[in-house]
Amino acid sequence: MEEKIIIKNLNKEFYDPQRGIVKAVDNLSFSAFKGEIFGLLGPNGAGKTTTLRMMATLMKPNSGSIEIAGYDTEKNPQDVRRSIGYMSSSTALYPRLSPREIITYFAELNDFPQNELAMRVEQLIKYFNIGEYADTYSEKLSTGMKQITSIARTIVHNPPVLILDEPSSGLDVIVAQKIHTYILDLKNEGKTIIFSSHNMGEVEKICDRIGIIDNGKLLTVGTIDELRKISGKYYMEEIFIYFVKEFEEKVYNAHQN
Amino acid sequence: MKTLIEIYLKDLLRNKMMGLMVILVPVIFYPLLYWGITQFIMIKNGFAENRDLTLHYKIENPEFSSLEDSIRSVSGIDASKTQQFKPDKNGLYINVSMFNDLPRYEVYLDSSNAFQMKAYSELEPKLSGFYETKINELIVRKNYKKEYFKVYKIEPVNIDGRNEIITKVLSLLIPLMSVISILASIAAASVELASGHSEDKTTETTLTLPLNRKDVIFAKFITVVIYGMLAGLISFTFIVVIMMHIFTSMIDKIGAGMADFDWSLIINFRNISLSLLSLTIIAFFVSMIFITAAGFASKRKEGNILVSPFSAIITYLPIVIVIPALEPNIFIAMTPVLNIAFALKLVIADDINTVFILETLVFSSLWAVLLYRFLFPFLLEEEVLLGYSNTSLTKKIKMKMSRWKKK
Repeated sequence: MEEKIIIKNLNKEFYDPQRGIVKAVDNLSFSAFKGEIFGLLGPNGAGKTTTLRMMATLMKPNSGSIEIAGYDTEKNPQDVRRSIGYMSSSTALYPRLSPREIITYFAELNDFPQNELAMRVEQLIKYFNIGEYADTYSEKLSTGMKQITSIARTIVHNPPVLILDEPSSGLDVIVAQKIHTYILDLKNEGKTIIFSSHNMGEVEKICDRIGIIDNGKLLTVGTIDELRKISGKYYMEEIFIYFVKEFEEKVYNAHQN
Repeated sequence: MKTLIEIYLKDLLRNKMMGLMVILVPVIFYPLLYWGITQFIMIKNGFAENRDLTLHYKIENPEFSSLEDSIRSVSGIDASKTQQFKPDKNGLYINVSMFNDLPRYEVYLDSSNAFQMKAYSELEPKLSGFYETKINELIVRKNYKKEYFKVYKIEPVNIDGRNEIITKVLSLLIPLMSVISILASIAAASVELASGHSEDKTTETTLTLPLNRKDVIFAKFITVVIYGMLAGLISFTFIVVIMMHIFTSMIDKIGAGMADFDWSLIINFRNISLSLLSLTIIAFFVSMIFITAAGFASKRKEGNILVSPFSAIITYLPIVIVIPALEPNIFIAMTPVLNIAFALKLVIADDINTVFILETLVFSSLWAVLLYRFLFPFLLEEEVLLGYSNTSLTKKIKMKMSRWKKK
């Protein structure tokens, strides 16, 4: 299987005036394959978003390496950017631009061929059922509509790798369901998708493999069945708590020693 | 970068509240402020003592030489007797001649100059008093009846013609009001593009596209300059039309030959092109300052807090130039925005001071280099550019400073 994302010994530290040096990501390594949905699961402040931001070339790691679609994020950031579609935890839309304008502009910014641009925009509008509100300012749209527009904008240039930071957070079940369908469709198109989430059910439902992260450390990686085997638990929530607690105990014991 | 500028500009121009504020702020705020300041200066001109004012006088008839002491007793002036009577803008001129055995005064002054007006207000009672004395002497000497004489009012002649004041007021008022409009719009646009886009995470999303970080900041900067210039142009046109209307109706009411006020004294190619050039330079500098200030904030609220002190300072700088006592000096030339506004004032008033303009150019370039060299790199850093920190604004600044010190 072709590895589309390779992360090796990734470290990221922040300086905080009160706490001093804080390790946000601690020696993280994993990889994701073509046509795979990789879920990054972790409590608040675990380092999920920081990891995704480093993958999206927004932040530079202190050490370690990230390779996306064959390009190193530090050596070839522009090539990495051309190969990814990044969706942040908020919808990040320009409030007074319509979905049609936003999708078109993002295609232009991604150097999408000018002669195919109009067709691609219409194709996405149709696929995501945006037509009804395609020309309404995004500030007037519901959260669900904004999120769907945001996904359309993320994939407009047809990138092989998608980085989605909590794509369904704050959405109702029906919209979340739609988004899951879109993500699965994209996987079937052969895209590699990495996404972070708090939602255990969502991760269990759509992810091929799951990585559990806490305090910047990757606690475990595997398919849902593999994680069930290791933890001896069935439900994702129990599996997650098992790994996080086990890690906390290890840290506690290390401190005691 | 063109697409980015298009996106930013479209988003800003569609913001109706911001547009309304940008136009309303100068239209309401500035005339009141300008009027208040000039009134204050005209009344409270205590600082006049610090300024030398020369009063040139010529007394043609030796019979009136006793008037000399009265003229010399006017406070705050340097009285100078002259034989060649050639009035100019740099002093107060009085020629005393004899007409039907009585003194006849010719007074020339610059009525827009608060110091000359103050000196003249002290001088006028002395001249009238002397005239009264001479009438009384004549009545006694020639046994005339007092009713034969009318006390006439001395009417000083404004050295630049009667349109001068209105020309000066308008030629300053119109560009300055546009400056306020530019400042207001640039402040609002900077907060929206720098802090607002951090808050909405649109900057974050943009930076995952195959674009250069510098290009993104430059696109924001150029958008802010364009937005400021557009606001300045709209208010410039609006103010010119409004002012023409107001002053025409005022002039009509004043009547007495003022109705033929020559608008080309103000609305001419030279003044408009100079004003627009100065407004562009001001927009450029103010955008640099505001984008940098707002760039340190990751929320609109914080952005407004950071930009407000700069707005207040920069707004008042151009207003300072209406103070008549202010002469061009190195400190003004060193102060960004104020120096350009001041140079504009001098050029419009045909009082070109080459040294000051050169100093202004040198210091302005220096400021631009300093801002680019020392503040711009801060903006490129991820915590600043992307607003990645949930800590408070003060903490963020402290954090930036401590890192900077470390480096």
